Amino acid sequence: MPSLIASKLLDAIPTLWLVLTLVFVALRILPGDPALVALGDFATPEQLALFREQAGLDAPLWQQYFAFLWDVVTFDFGNSLITKESVAGVIGYNLPFTVALAIGATAIGVIIGVPFGVLAAVRKNKAPDQGMRVFSLVGYAIPDFYLGAVLLIVFALNLKLFPINGGGEGFWGQLYHLALPAITLAVLKIAFLGRLTRTALLEVLSKDYVRTAKAKGAPPKTVIYKHALRNALLPIVTGLGLSLLATLSGAVAVELVFNRPGLGSTLIKAIAERDYTLIQGAVVVFALMVVVVNLLVDVLYTIIDPRLGS
Amino acid sequence: MTITRRQLLATGVAGSALAIVGAGGSPALAQAGNDTITLAFAARSPVALNPQFQGLLGADNWVCAQVYDTLVKTPDGRWATNPEEFVPSLAESWQASEDQKTWTYKLRSGVKFHKGYGDLTAEDVAFTFGRHLDPKINTATKTYYSNIATVEASDPLTVVIKLKQPDPLLNASSVSLLASAILCKKAFEEKGDAFNMDPVGSGPYQVERVDSASGVHLKAFADYFGGPAATQNLRIRYIADTTARTLAFASGDVDMIEGVRSPGWMDSMRQQAISTIFDATAPGSINTLNINLTKGPLADIKVRQAIRYAIDTQAIADAFGGIATPMVGLIASQFPGKVSADQLPEALRYGHDPEKAMALLAEAGHAGGLTIPCFVSQREDYASIMLMVQEQLRAVKINLDMKIIDHATFHADNRKDKGTLILQSTSYPPVPTLTISNILAKAGETKPDGTGGTNFSHYGDTIPGIDDLMEKALATADFDQRMGVVQDMEKQILKDLPALGMITLSYVVARNPRIDLGYKVESGPAYWPMNKAKRVA
Repeated sequence: MPSLIASKLLDAIPTLWLVLTLVFVALRILPGDPALVALGDFATPEQLALFREQAGLDAPLWQQYFAFLWDVVTFDFGNSLITKESVAGVIGYNLPFTVALAIGATAIGVIIGVPFGVLAAVRKNKAPDQGMRVFSLVGYAIPDFYLGAVLLIVFALNLKLFPINGGGEGFWGQLYHLALPAITLAVLKIAFLGRLTRTALLEVLSKDYVRTAKAKGAPPKTVIYKHALRNALLPIVTGLGLSLLATLSGAVAVELVFNRPGLGSTLIKAIAERDYTLIQGAVVVFALMVVVVNLLVDVLYTIIDPRLGS
Repeated sequence: MTITRRQLLATGVAGSALAIVGAGGSPALAQAGNDTITLAFAARSPVALNPQFQGLLGADNWVCAQVYDTLVKTPDGRWATNPEEFVPSLAESWQASEDQKTWTYKLRSGVKFHKGYGDLTAEDVAFTFGRHLDPKINTATKTYYSNIATVEASDPLTVVIKLKQPDPLLNASSVSLLASAILCKKAFEEKGDAFNMDPVGSGPYQVERVDSASGVHLKAFADYFGGPAATQNLRIRYIADTTARTLAFASGDVDMIEGVRSPGWMDSMRQQAISTIFDATAPGSINTLNINLTKGPLADIKVRQAIRYAIDTQAIADAFGGIATPMVGLIASQFPGKVSADQLPEALRYGHDPEKAMALLAEAGHAGGLTIPCFVSQREDYASIMLMVQEQLRAVKINLDMKIIDHATFHADNRKDKGTLILQSTSYPPVPTLTISNILAKAGETKPDGTGGTNFSHYGDTIPGIDDLMEKALATADFDQRMGVVQDMEKQILKDLPALGMITLSYVVARNPRIDLGYKVESGPAYWPMNKAKRVA
């Protein structure tokens, strides 16, 4: 196992370098000027030049590039070009909210989606399967920002069961504020994981070893959960990893509707403001999260199917 | 046009939210009261709480307006549009020399800074203005201080400001602006960059806590020289999403929210929450359509006149439902130096006249119409106005090939002289020379390499501009005479049409009727003092 982890981490280095280089180049190609954003429409040429000089934006591009790479290697992301706050501080504040949202939504998705998928597979073309199909269609079709607004109006504004917005303070306060946004994102995950589980399980249920297990008189629960589901877990875990990553980077709309702090909306704001240092810092963190999640998925593969580890 | 669809969806969500709120009963406009008033603004998190910091958000300005004081101030709820209207604040009196080049301010004694930082003195005032005058420090609205030569503390309670040229409107052009709010020198030097989020002012509220999630928490300053604020706590929240902000208001979580400056927003709010009070500044922002005189057919005055006649500014203003006013020249109708239609000769009145527009186009050799490529910011007020202009110009066979782009790109591309018809939305204090020189002074001509200024039309270069008149105005010490020269500039601009006044668009805040501000908002900047505000229900 340690060699697997080491090997995967080594594999990640060129990927990370490529991502960082692409981000650096893309930011410099992107139209828009951080100096103009920071100083406002009527900044004089002298003020703009002073800003660029103080922010190091007047240095040759190659110097900026190597300085950026060095900063990444030393985990020094500098200060935001716009607010002058420490980038590490901004990320450190927002990241836990995003991770909590992603984990919360994914947990709800797994807890509800996987059993639903199993039920749909074993009751193929019956009411549970049809119900799952309809739910999946709705779950895929409804935009999360719209669903979030509707849930807010019904459960927070009218029924007053949840807070109207914000990130909450203290552990219980944050958990309370997490519930509705996590449920919003979980609807899509339930739909996705339910469909994935159903498809994977149906494929496994038609295999010879399942027929053999049934023939030798194994109870249905044992057949489904011990023989079939375990062998269907690989695609589900892959989907789970993808789904988790999508939430980490794609929860922007939900963060905005619920006015939650988070890395996704912070990144969008930074892009709008051309805040190069904050964008670079946030992208590095996203890239690292992709590496970590992929690593976890690989580790899970070897646990689920030991043959993959050998 | 992806952005239009997205805007449509966002508006749809906000509309649905309001509809469902309405269906579920009245919004909680009279929920339980306490000693806190909460305001929410369209922003994600604070940039800084230092009034000199560049690029502050509207919400940050609201905080600064409560935390700091200026030497003099405008009356609550409106601008001071002539020199006599300013009222004392940190300065209890002031005197201008006859030539309007030396201004002496006598400070109030015993004014305390927050958090035990002692008394405010003339040294703090000199320090504050000194930062604006230092070319090595970038500060907000720095150009507004370019006429100041020196700011000196002649004794602990006397400040002398010496100007390069006379300025009868010094209090309006710089001294009363939020960026001139007095910083505590000792705290600023002690805290360094930390001052931006842990500020020390002398205003009615002091910053107690700043948190990205819950906003800025302000507490009434017991030693405030003007007496304690009417409400003990003030909380400024940052809620960027319109739907989230509207729901927070409807639920009673917040008492006042920043409005949306797009057609239909106020109407939809009124339909669902009839008791909501809307406080709106007039003029708010000034929207001008700058015409790049170097771009093909736009160099022809007949084409520019045709555009002017084709645009129905009254219709555009009406679309905003009572928060917009059509403009005649570039100066808002509420400000000194403006011209009204009845002061103008017939040839410069430019009523909406599509037939005349088409005749002028034919005279200019464009009888079959013409296409003008242009771009506009995706920001809701910009895009709304330009989409209406596009439709109105289409009626006279002028096809605006318009791209809607993000706000940062819009400004950067304008600075690189890529624009043709450039909509510009800016809030100015009632100092007409500032408005005109920012938009049309030759010295501010835009350059393709981005090193120029904001004269996007190249007025004064391609054709003679207003620079001589501007020089004359700035050398005139008498206020009324100066305003007379400004009116001459307005007429010159209306004759040449390098930029068209479109509409003024108010800054709007929706207020729960349980909050009484203590005065009526009529004009003024896009933030106002809250020290008299209290709950009445």
